[in-house]
Amino acid sequence: MTEALIGFAAVLGLVLLRVPIAFAMGLVGMIGYAMETSMRGAVSMAGRLLIDTAQDYGLSVVPLFVLMGLFVNKGGLSRELYAVSHAFLGHRRGGLAMATIVACGGFSAICGSSLATAATMSKVAMPQMRRYGYADSLSTAAIAAGGTLGILIPPSVILVIYGLLTETSIGKLFIAGIVPGLMGVLFYLAAVAWTVRRNPAAGPAGERTDWRGRLAALRDVWAVLLLFFLVIGGLYGALDVWPLHLTFSPTEAAGMGATGAFLIALARGGLDLRGIFQTLRETADTTATLFAVLIGAWIFSNFVNIAGLPEALRAVVQENAVAPWMVIALILAVYLALGCVFESLSMLLLTVPIFFPLVTGLGYDPVWFGIIVVVVTEISLITPPVGLNVFILKGVVGDVSTATIFRGVTPFWVADILRLALLALVPAITLFLPESMGP
Amino acid sequence: AEYTLTISSWAPPTHGINAKMWPGLIKMIEDATDGRVTAEVKLGIAPPPAQMDLVQDGAADMSIIFHGYQAGRFVTTKLIELPGYEGSAEAASVAYWRVFEKYLSKANEHRGVKVIALHTHGPAQLHTNVKVTALDQIKGLKLRVPGGVGGDVGAALGATGIKVPAPKVYETLASKAADGVVIPMESRKGFRLVEVAPYVYRMPGGFYRGSFAMIMNEDAFAALPEDIRKALAEKVFGEPASRMLGKVWDEIDAIGLEETLKTPGNEIVDASAEDVAAYKPIADKIIAKVLDEVAAAGVDAKAAYAMIREEMAKAE
Amino acid sequence: MSAFLRLARLASLAPVAAACAALFALMLMTFADVLMRSALDDPIEAATELTRVFMAIIVFSSLPVVSARGDHISVDLLDPLFRGRARRVRDALVALACGAMLTWPAGQAWKLALRARSYGDVTEYLHIPQYLPAGFVSLMTWAAAAALIARGALLLLAPRALREEEPGA
Ligand code: NA
Ligand code: NA
Repeated sequence: MTEALIGFAAVLGLVLLRVPIAFAMGLVGMIGYAMETSMRGAVSMAGRLLIDTAQDYGLSVVPLFVLMGLFVNKGGLSRELYAVSHAFLGHRRGGLAMATIVACGGFSAICGSSLATAATMSKVAMPQMRRYGYADSLSTAAIAAGGTLGILIPPSVILVIYGLLTETSIGKLFIAGIVPGLMGVLFYLAAVAWTVRRNPAAGPAGERTDWRGRLAALRDVWAVLLLFFLVIGGLYGALDVWPLHLTFSPTEAAGMGATGAFLIALARGGLDLRGIFQTLRETADTTATLFAVLIGAWIFSNFVNIAGLPEALRAVVQENAVAPWMVIALILAVYLALGCVFESLSMLLLTVPIFFPLVTGLGYDPVWFGIIVVVVTEISLITPPVGLNVFILKGVVGDVSTATIFRGVTPFWVADILRLALLALVPAITLFLPESMGP
Repeated sequence: AEYTLTISSWAPPTHGINAKMWPGLIKMIEDATDGRVTAEVKLGIAPPPAQMDLVQDGAADMSIIFHGYQAGRFVTTKLIELPGYEGSAEAASVAYWRVFEKYLSKANEHRGVKVIALHTHGPAQLHTNVKVTALDQIKGLKLRVPGGVGGDVGAALGATGIKVPAPKVYETLASKAADGVVIPMESRKGFRLVEVAPYVYRMPGGFYRGSFAMIMNEDAFAALPEDIRKALAEKVFGEPASRMLGKVWDEIDAIGLEETLKTPGNEIVDASAEDVAAYKPIADKIIAKVLDEVAAAGVDAKAAYAMIREEMAKAE
Repeated sequence: MSAFLRLARLASLAPVAAACAALFALMLMTFADVLMRSALDDPIEAATELTRVFMAIIVFSSLPVVSARGDHISVDLLDPLFRGRARRVRDALVALACGAMLTWPAGQAWKLALRARSYGDVTEYLHIPQYLPAGFVSLMTWAAAAALIARGALLLLAPRALREEEPGA
C-alpha cells in the first residue's frame, strides 16, 4: 500500500510541474510496476497497452462522440435551442437566465462536453441577457453552471471514459445520467429564482412571446430532437420498431450521431470542405490526447493493482469498522477538495483507479458511483480557484472579472451540493432507469 | 509463503475462471508445496490477446489464454475444438493434455512460455434472443462466434459472424447487435445470458469446444528451488491441473443449466434426429479442413485426432 | 531554423491527412454497418477489424503532431510560480524527459510487432498481419518521442522559432 501511495504522490508532484498527465501516470506506473515485477515486464506491459488500446473496438466511441459534438457546433443548433426556451420563459423575472439553463440542458443532450456546452451557449445567450440588462454575475453564472450539464446528460465523454476505465456499461451509464441531469436543470432553475428574488434587478423580465411565436420556435428545434432520439433512443432500445429495428451499442450510437450531425450541418450550409477537414483534424487531435491519458491511466492503475492497494484499502476500512456510508462521504469530500484545483478529466483519471475497486468492493453499484463521480466533476468546473467553465465565460465575455462570476455561481454551487447529497442518499433516483433497460 | 506468484487474468471477477479455476489451481500449488508457494490473481492488466506477451516478458508469472483470440498463432489447438466429441469437459481436457504431450507439442506453438495445463470448456450450444428450433433457422442469423473452429462452424451454418470478445457478449446481445451466440452452457450464468438470450438450441456434443491454456513464465519457474519444481511438475502441472480445470467447466456448465431451468421464459430445445444427421456432414467437412491445417503444421493430425476420441471414450 | 520547422510541418501533412481520412471512414462505416444490419439484416462482417485499424491510424497519426505542439493534457495550476525563462526551461526539460521516456514503450512495441510476425498472428476475417498495426504504433510512438525531444531542444536553444509557430504562446 505504501508503494502505491508514494506513487500517487509522485504523479501529483509531476503533474504540478506541468508534466502532461499521460506521461506522469505512465512513467510512475511503469517504474512502480517494474519494482513489483521486472523492468522488462513493466516495459512490455506498457508497450502492449500502446498497441492494444489503439486497436480497442470499444474505444472507437471516443472519437465518434467528439466528432458529433464538433459537427453539432457547426450546425448552429444552439441558437434554435435558445430561441425556443426564450420564447417560453423570457417574460418571467430571471426568465432569460432560466431559458439559458434549459437551453444548456437541451444542448447537453447532443453534446458530450461541458466546456463545449458552456462555450457555445455563452456566444448565444450572453448578448441577449446583456441586452435586457441582466447582472453579469447572474448571466455568466447561469451559463457556466448550465454548461456543466454537458457531461451528465448523455452523451457524455466523461461517462465514456469512466465506463472504459471501469468496464461499466456505457449504455447504462448514459441512461442513468438522464434523471440526475434533469434534476440538475430543475435545481439550477431554483437557483436562478432564488437569485432574482433576492435581487430583482439582477434579472428583469423580458417580453412575452405569443403562442404562434412559441410554436414557430418549437418547429425549429427538430434537428436537436432528432439527434437526441437517434442516439439515446437507439441506445435505450426505444427505436426497435418496424421497419428499421434500430438498436445500437454505444459505439454505433456515436457513429449514428456523428453522421446525423454531419448531415444536418451540411444541409444548413454550415460546412464547407475546409470546415470538414478542420473538424476531422480537431477530433483526431483530441482523440490522440485522450488516448494518451487513457493509456497512461491504465499503466498507472496496473501498478496500483499489482501493488495491492485496493485490497489494502478495503482491509483498512474493515479493520477500523468504518461504515460504508462514511467511506462514501469521505470520498466525496476528497473529490470536492480536489475539484477546487483539478481539471475534471485529470481528477477522474487520478482517482478512479484507487476509489473504484474500494467502492464496488463495499457493494455499491458501479453505475451509481459513475454518476456520483460525474456530478462532483461537474461541481469542480465552477468552484474557485480553478473552475474551467468560469474561465471559458471569462474568455468569451472578456470584460467580467472571474471573481464576479464565481460570486454569481454560489447559489448554483449550493444547488449542486443539495443534488449530490440527494443522489448519494437515494441511489434509486439514478438506478431505476438503467435497471429498466434490456429484457 | 516463501514465493508468491502473480496471476494475470481476464473475464468478469465472478466468472468460473476467476471464482473457481484459479483458486483451485492455487490450492493445488499450495498443497503440493506445503504452502511454500502461493499465488494471487490480478484482473484487467491487459486485454486477452496480450496475455501471452505479458507472461513471456514477466509482467505476470501466470495467465490463461483462449487460443481462438490469436488467429494465425495457434493451429494445432483447433484439434480439441472440433465438433462431434462425446464426453465431459474433464474427459476432453485430460485427453487434450495427453495428445499435446504426444503430438501437438511438436508444433511448438507456445514457444516462449511454459504450458502448465490445457483445457476445454463444455460443448458450445446456440443461445439466441429469437426462438430457434431447427438447424436451418440458423442461416442468416447474426451470431457472435469466437475465432478458431467456432468461426468455421458459424460460417458453415450460414450465420453472419459478429466479432466481440466473450465479456462483451451480454452488451452485444442486449443491444441486439447480434441475434445469438455459440458458447457453453456455463455462460448462461457466467455472462448472464439468461437475461439476453432466453432460447437454447442444443446439439449433442456441441457445435465446438473452446481451447484454453494456463501458461507460466519460464524464468519464474526456473527461479523456484528444485524440490518445489519437482513437486509442481509431478502433482500439479500437466494432467492433474488439466483434469481439475475440465472438471470445473463441467461444474459451471451444470450451474448454467440449472440457472436456465429456473429462469422464467428460458427454453431449451434439443436438436431433432434429422438435424443431428444433417449436422454430421457439415461437421465432417470442418473436421477434414482442420485436420489438413493441423497436418500442415507438422503434426500427425489423423493419429492425434484418433487418440483424442480414444482417450475420451476410455474416460466414459 | 525556420526552414527546419517548415520541413517538419510539411512532413506532418501526410499523417494528418491519414488521420482525417480514417476518422471519416470510421464514421461512414459505422453508419453503413448499423443501417445494413437493421434494414437488410446483413452487417459488414469485417467492420470490427476495420474499426480497430482505423482507430490505430487516427490515434497514432496524430500523436507526433500533438506532441510537437505541446498539446497534451496537463495541469497549469502552478504556472503563476513559473514565469519567463523559468517557465521555458521547465517546459523544455519536461518535453525532453517525456520524449526520452516514450522511447521505452516505443522500442518494446517494435519488439512485440516482430514477435507477432514470427508467430504469424493475423486478424480473424481479413487476415491482416498483426505486426502491421503494431509496427505502425511503434514507429509513430518513436516519431512522437523525436517530436518531443526536438520541441525540448528548440525551447532551450531557439525559443523564438517556436513562438513564431504558436501565435497563442
Ligand atoms: Na451531454
Ligand atoms: Na474547481
